[in-house]
Amino acid sequence: MGVAQDPANVGRMSTLALLLTQGVNALSQAALLFFLGVGLTLIFGIMRIVNFAHGTLYMLGAFIGYSLVRYAGSYWLALLLAPLAVGAIGTAFELGILRRLYRRDAHAFLMVTFGLALVTGEAVRLIWGSDALQVPSPALLSGVVFLMDEPFPVYRLFLIGFGVIVAIAMWQLLERTRLGLLIRATSQNAEMVHALGVDVKLVRSGVFGIGCGLAALGGVLAAPLVTAAHGMAATAVIDAFVIVIIGGMGSFLGSLIGALLVAFVQVFGNYYLPDFALAFMYLVMLLVLVVRPGGLLGKEA
Amino acid sequence: MPKTNPLPALAGVAVLGLLMAAPFGLPVFAMTLLTELLILGLFAMSLDLMVGYTNLVSFGHTAAYGLGAYASGYMLLNSSLPLPFVVLLAALLTGVVAIGVGWVCTLATGVSFSMLTLAFAQLLYAIAFKWTSVTGGSDGLAGIPRRAGPFGLTIFTSKMGFYYFALACLLGAFFICRALVRSPFGTVLHGIRQNEAKTLVLGYNTRLYKIAVVAIAYALGGLAGALYAPFAGFANTELLFWLLSGQVLIMVIVGGQGTLIGPILGAGFFMLLEHQLSSYTEAWALFFGLIFIAFVLFAPEGIWGLARRLFARRGLPAETRHG
Amino acid sequence: MQTKSHPSRRDVITGAGAALAAPYLWTSAQAQAAGTIKVGMPLALTGPLGSVGQQQKRGAEFYAKLQNAKGGWLGKKIELLIEDTAGNPAACVRKAQEMVERQDCRLFTGITLSSEALAIVPKLAEWNAIFISSDNGDGRLTAESFVPNFFRANTSGPMGTRAVSLYLKDAPYKSFYALGLDYAWGHNSVQVFENELKRLGKEFVGKVFAPTGTKDYSTYVTKIRQSGADGVYLVLAGDDNNAFLAQAAQYQLASKMAMLSEQLELTAMRAVGDACLGIVASARYAFTIDNPKNKEFVELWKQEHGGLVPDQFEGEQWQCQRVFEAGIAKAGSIEADKLRAALEDLAIDDIKGKVLMRKCDHQGVQQGFIFKAAKKDGFSHPVPEIIATLPAERTTPPCNKMTYDD
Repeated sequence: MGVAQDPANVGRMSTLALLLTQGVNALSQAALLFFLGVGLTLIFGIMRIVNFAHGTLYMLGAFIGYSLVRYAGSYWLALLLAPLAVGAIGTAFELGILRRLYRRDAHAFLMVTFGLALVTGEAVRLIWGSDALQVPSPALLSGVVFLMDEPFPVYRLFLIGFGVIVAIAMWQLLERTRLGLLIRATSQNAEMVHALGVDVKLVRSGVFGIGCGLAALGGVLAAPLVTAAHGMAATAVIDAFVIVIIGGMGSFLGSLIGALLVAFVQVFGNYYLPDFALAFMYLVMLLVLVVRPGGLLGKEA
Repeated sequence: MPKTNPLPALAGVAVLGLLMAAPFGLPVFAMTLLTELLILGLFAMSLDLMVGYTNLVSFGHTAAYGLGAYASGYMLLNSSLPLPFVVLLAALLTGVVAIGVGWVCTLATGVSFSMLTLAFAQLLYAIAFKWTSVTGGSDGLAGIPRRAGPFGLTIFTSKMGFYYFALACLLGAFFICRALVRSPFGTVLHGIRQNEAKTLVLGYNTRLYKIAVVAIAYALGGLAGALYAPFAGFANTELLFWLLSGQVLIMVIVGGQGTLIGPILGAGFFMLLEHQLSSYTEAWALFFGLIFIAFVLFAPEGIWGLARRLFARRGLPAETRHG
Repeated sequence: MQTKSHPSRRDVITGAGAALAAPYLWTSAQAQAAGTIKVGMPLALTGPLGSVGQQQKRGAEFYAKLQNAKGGWLGKKIELLIEDTAGNPAACVRKAQEMVERQDCRLFTGITLSSEALAIVPKLAEWNAIFISSDNGDGRLTAESFVPNFFRANTSGPMGTRAVSLYLKDAPYKSFYALGLDYAWGHNSVQVFENELKRLGKEFVGKVFAPTGTKDYSTYVTKIRQSGADGVYLVLAGDDNNAFLAQAAQYQLASKMAMLSEQLELTAMRAVGDACLGIVASARYAFTIDNPKNKEFVELWKQEHGGLVPDQFEGEQWQCQRVFEAGIAKAGSIEADKLRAALEDLAIDDIKGKVLMRKCDHQGVQQGFIFKAAKKDGFSHPVPEIIATLPAERTTPPCNKMTYDD
């Protein structure tokens, strides 16, 4: 291993193969970004809370996933339980602390989620140590498929597929179910919903919990690609914010479109203009906000 | 004219007296920290103009700090201009750039405004990172000297001299801000904060006022950064990293927004707390976070608000809120 | 008037205020413990590079424990001043300043990030302090940014790349592509590699730089693949290194081209597992280096750390402490002028073999090690298997330079 065995193997890909590979790369990256942003947009849409702790919850999901894979032996179990665990933690935080702050101005949320981020980040370091930890993908997803003779990881295809499933599931939840109706109504006019006799507090707690759980899901899904590591949180929170802002805070479809846009710009941009890699995401955000200050599908201007 | 209470002014003079006498009483390491504290305090106060008085929450204020630091660092390394000129020039430069930034950012309001400020800060970060010939890239500018003042005055090159210069900058900025918020300009800002639509209807071009506030706030933030570069001797991309933007916002809120003095106290509190906690334990971030959460829950009006309540409980009338 | 059944808020605040201010108000009470030699280590113990700082801390503590049992330095115990900077240069300078001004500390080591080191170095003269680096690899520190009070005991970035290039002289690969972190060190090492390849008459196909914090390396993997080169040279570290290696393995990049790296420490090998098998890399230190002193060190380390073997920066920190030891013994003092003179042209022979702290730019002239990541009994992850050792004179660059002449 480590040596190019067959000279015939070392040829370049054809342009078509390159475009195909890059296209699928972009879709898999979009999936990752979508999972990152969807929880944040849900929380902001309903509660107008800018959740600074989003990145650390994402990281927490990855580390809990690590432990579950390591000690229970199953990645699938991790995929199920880590989001539930972090969702529960999020709900507890909402019940205990956030509830008291709804009457206050937005700055209170900023500070308190900043505090949560610090506490969670350090807790992760204390529990799991400072080193990055391996989270192997399950055997079923560890191989490659050949796209025009080029190996492409099955795991990334899984990410795309799973992303589509979750996106559809959430869309159905928001559009077709009573809970979804409540969520959407509360985001537009909480007072009215309250007047209609619905326990708005419960809706909020539920939504915050789901949002945190989705963040953790993102972390578990990313872990086989980037390992469970401490640097995850910082980069994640910024990326999530950008996706959500581009799409429009509070718009679920927006976060999907935002993720796709950013992913394609980054994947093709980094290939042809790698010097701008650091700036692409922010340039896109700037352009979108100047043209449409509320984001592509945003409600708030 | 209503009779103003002399006590707050006296207290202010007393504090000022202490600060002026500090170099003669405090040990060297404390002086170094105090100087940095003044610089951070200036940085936080400048943000308060936007956040506390006009409700323009910036997630990218570190752009001002970093720009000021790089400008002053570059000039000190590459020209023979004296220190005070460089610092003031760098602040001015930052303010001018901020007019453009403000113009774009005020196209939006609310969270979108905040995110635009973040975008600018991140772009500036990316530029600083890549433009190695001017900014030193990821290594930054190092070995920034404290050049002698005009006419061969070497007063600013010493620690004590620099401290007084920083103090003078902070005081100057404070009085400028205070005058600003007490003036008709400040009243418009207040109107924008309370109800922008109404203020607009009253005939004020709120956008112009907002751009002006952004420019002034950035200029003062740039002043802080311009002081930091010769203080620390370096300027690097960490000064433009978004984490610092979040931290300075926290300083303003913890200190008490909309009070000018509050954020200075907030900056001091933040810096000292971080410094002390991290020397006691590796897990300092945990306690740091818990303290912030406690602040939000139990001291929503911030440090300055708490301090004023102490005075009030003692029977002394609390100073009327600025602006 | 409220009833005061528990401490009033005022009391709490006054107490907190006093607690924050107190350390700065009393000085002599905080005076140094008499009779110890202080070594300042403002490290990144938390944050993305926390694992490197933790290694440096363990290396230093292990050394201090063993050496103090033998009486320390000059008959005084070694006291390590270890504090967390979280990788922030501003905090690093602040803490170092306080260590100098409040605790009279004149010796520094174990500063984790090169950006922190570059911020500290201009102040050494003012502090009258000596700094011997154990992991800062930025070539500038012995070139443009050199100051007399700085010494580098560790292998630098250019030296690591040079070792790989020397190894490649006799290897069958003819063309290379490079991927580096978009960072001073990344650019520096890739530049050295490019120069070296030209000298070897091999083809340098191209290069690309990824920003730190990149999560998705798919584009870069594709770009490398599309270059058509025989091999790729990687200049990555930390989380970025892990992410790239894990993802490249998923694309089976290793089946298309050889993979070489400037750095691959044990923490990375543990984090990515089999994804790094077969990678050839330069080691600043590896526990598999074959000499009696290293074997002894590894054994002692395993006993102290529950069977774990020492990683790259732990070994480098140990070597750095040994340089301090020899220098202080020779100078008979920790005073900067005397210590500097003693360290110049000082040689030690320890876990990495002979190291000479040359006078002209204070770089430790030492061998280069090349290894291949391979499986080994008793380890659940790949370990470095040394496949080449390169002579010190060939791997160390000329004085005050980051590039090589021959």
